[in-house]
Amino acid sequence: MSLPAVSIDAPPSNVAGRTTSITLFTTQKWWGRFFMPFMFTTSRAAPKALEAMDKLSFISFASWSLIRELPYNGPPQTVRRLRYPHLFFEVSFNGSWAQYIDSSVRVLTTGMYSFWSSSRTFPGPLPASPFQRFFKTHEVDTSHYYCAYPEATVTIVRSALALEERLDMFAHRAQNLPEDAFDAAWDAFLEDAQRFL
Amino acid sequence: MSTRSPNIAGSTYSLMVWTPIIPGREAQLRSLLEGLAATGSPLAQVPRTHMARWLVVPAMPVPPGTDVHDPLGGPFLLFTSNFDGDVDSYLHELCELIPDAAAAIWSHCVGCPQPAAGAALKAYLHRNQVDSGFAFAAYGDASVQRIRTALDKRERLADFAVRAQDMDRATRRKAFLKEFGPA
Repeated sequence: MSLPAVSIDAPPSNVAGRTTSITLFTTQKWWGRFFMPFMFTTSRAAPKALEAMDKLSFISFASWSLIRELPYNGPPQTVRRLRYPHLFFEVSFNGSWAQYIDSSVRVLTTGMYSFWSSSRTFPGPLPASPFQRFFKTHEVDTSHYYCAYPEATVTIVRSALALEERLDMFAHRAQNLPEDAFDAAWDAFLEDAQRFL
Repeated sequence: MSTRSPNIAGSTYSLMVWTPIIPGREAQLRSLLEGLAATGSPLAQVPRTHMARWLVVPAMPVPPGTDVHDPLGGPFLLFTSNFDGDVDSYLHELCELIPDAAAAIWSHCVGCPQPAAGAALKAYLHRNQVDSGFAFAAYGDASVQRIRTALDKRERLADFAVRAQDMDRATRRKAFLKEFGPA
């Protein structure tokens, strides 16, 4: 069956500068209510499991949660306990929506199974098109999205943090360097610093 | 097994607050939230905020080809934020630093105190918090302030490296120390 292609763009309300947000809710299969808490506990106990995601270096923040009931505030709120558990997922990343999906399914294939296989209608991460459709179907658009440093990608932030340490050390050392030794030290520093600029 | 809070990643906290929207107010609230960008986000005035979002959840998405409808009984406002430090002081800042925006937004929600301000609003937000299961942060040990400082230094260093090419030896050292030397 040929299904229509999904829009691979994020609406402007989901974007702040170079950072894009996705917010997703997927209904869980019966076993998701047991499996997802286990996944969360395992991931917290062994955060190295997410090393691949960390190395991708385009995801700044992400969180997952299993929503089974909502805080109750009295009438006219009518619902507290949900019929099904729902997996909530939010992520902030650099690049376009399509790039996020593409990189995620190709590099984080195993992780995608771990986090999404308990969701109903999960098609598997590959091929990418059905997975894109799965994401779009379950996405809720943001009404207002804020990022404190919208033009800085994860790579830029990490580079800036690494550079700052080196710069501060060099600045401290440069104070005590004689004038004729500064040039050589500056050149050496700059050669090292170039990869962070 | 780790006892780490599910909401914490490094030094950052992942907050999620669900509040039911008063029947009939969804469009008004949505319009208010969508208009915030035009005048600059109020969240810029809450300096510990890395990333945050407000969204209206009208219903849980239904997987196509299934009949697993899960009515919420009405739309909910969802607020999430990744910020530095602890949740208690952050909620306090949220209510104190952007009182007008916070009141304008959450006064559309069921159970929100009137006036929507101060300790009462903070307690309301606390009461409506839902824990994360797992939170990830790419640079969770760096605060917003430290990131901004580092980004600024990186930009200034790139600029200085270009300018330094035309400086003589004595000027270069002096200019470097003036720009980056310890205060």
